[in-house]
Amino acid sequence: MDANLPAPAPSRRSFLRSAVTVASGMSAAVAALSPLKELDSSDLPTLDEFLQKHYLELGPGEMQAALERIRNEVKKRWDVDAVVRDVRPKEGVEFVYALNLSRCIGCRRCVHACVAENNQSRSPELQYIRVLEMPRGTIDMERGNHHYDRPTVPDALHYYMPVQCHQCANPPCTKVCPVEATWTESDGITVIDYDWCIGCRYCEAACPYWARRFNFVEPEIPSEDLNPEMSYLSNRPRAKGVMEKCTFCLHRTREGKLPACLEACPVGARKFGNILDPESEVAKILREKRVFVLKEDVGTLPRFFYYFDERYPRPADEEAVALGTEGAK
Amino acid sequence: MRFLIPATFLALAAVFVLDARRGVALPIPPAAGVTKADLHLGPPRAALADPPTIQNGAFRQTCSECHALFPSPEVPRNPLLQHTHVVLDHGLNDRCYNCHSRENRDVLVKHGGETLPFERAPELCAQCHGTVFRDWQGGTHGRTTGSWVTDAPEQRRLKCTECHDPHSPAYPRMQPLPGPNTLRMGPQEAEPHHGPTENPLEKWKAPHAAASATHTEEH
Repeated sequence: MDANLPAPAPSRRSFLRSAVTVASGMSAAVAALSPLKELDSSDLPTLDEFLQKHYLELGPGEMQAALERIRNEVKKRWDVDAVVRDVRPKEGVEFVYALNLSRCIGCRRCVHACVAENNQSRSPELQYIRVLEMPRGTIDMERGNHHYDRPTVPDALHYYMPVQCHQCANPPCTKVCPVEATWTESDGITVIDYDWCIGCRYCEAACPYWARRFNFVEPEIPSEDLNPEMSYLSNRPRAKGVMEKCTFCLHRTREGKLPACLEACPVGARKFGNILDPESEVAKILREKRVFVLKEDVGTLPRFFYYFDERYPRPADEEAVALGTEGAK
Repeated sequence: MRFLIPATFLALAAVFVLDARRGVALPIPPAAGVTKADLHLGPPRAALADPPTIQNGAFRQTCSECHALFPSPEVPRNPLLQHTHVVLDHGLNDRCYNCHSRENRDVLVKHGGETLPFERAPELCAQCHGTVFRDWQGGTHGRTTGSWVTDAPEQRRLKCTECHDPHSPAYPRMQPLPGPNTLRMGPQEAEPHHGPTENPLEKWKAPHAAASATHTEEH
């Protein structure tokens, strides 16, 4: 008998209850999606960018197309005619960097030459090289200061220790990358495919030298400051949300030139070369000088060495040495 | 009571939507504004011609042209009466004729009396600075520019006097360019020795940092 009756009309109460539930559910969905309003066209990859393969899988034609795409993007955004190339490692070359701690005066010329060469964001300014001002008598990096701002350097009580990517032979950063967007090339340079990086920042966390930088915001570079000599794996413009790092200026060094930081060093504290050539400056330094690597105990096998001269050019100051050893007690 | 749950959702939705419209203001520090000119690329000092010349009014003369007419005192005074631009601060080496030839001012002289053109000045410096000269020959002291390839034609090693003033050879002090300003490195003014720090890397060990601050800077 009941089955023949029409369904009872919903009561006012149950109607209101379902209506409010649906409305709040929909508004929650709207709220969750509302950050999408912030997206503009620069946040979304173009179709070519989206479909592009990993650097190591690009065929010659595909590479040319990718370089052409980068060239067009630079032209569109900065109105600069860039030369974008893909520079490959040379046979029989393994790069090594050596830095003379007795000579560095902490002037930060290297830091800014690097920014100018490698098209880092200027605001906020990403710097691959950080110079630590350290009390003399210790190599405890916890006691270094990045933010020294003196009228003139060097300070008699301190020495200066620039740190950048050490291009490790056993790099922790490449092992943690979940998408294999970073790897070490045959000449020892660890590189990033900026189009493949997903911005998870695992590599930044893995690096014991804090050598990797993340683009938290869209990098901003004035067109007149843009370096038009670009290469795919080094200094082409990066997007928001990707990692970047020092590449020993591979677009320069793979063609025989010296890195920009070295050319800018006024005191000649920086030395660069091919360790497989026994006559190179770096080979001589490793043979003849007192050399050490940073954080040797973590087993990264850096290709970046620090060395000393026989005599420190600035006279030893007992007060300064006491200053350094005090913290080690 | 049951209406509180959807009401909360609605309120949250309103807050999220309105807030997202305003956008997120990141504390982006301004650009440092360092230009290529601030980097002073190239050799720190201009190399002298060999023999060195001086512009005297309309005439360009070598050193010996004047010194043939005006004899110099045996023991130089410091500060010098002539060549007043020269600041003589080379330690014990404060006699002109230790390096300059008494007879011919267009050449240098070694300790044994052998003369050297100005172009070969490093050999003169090597008499006292042997270890540095050895390092310079091997390329481990001084500036090498142009190329890392051994013996490449572009490779050039700067000579002693292209970086050092031979009369006061200590390398001059200079003003440092601006330091890091990325978010993770903390604000520029947050130096660890300036009391409680804003630097996110320092915050976790603030008591320790305050203790070590006294002996990093207060001297």
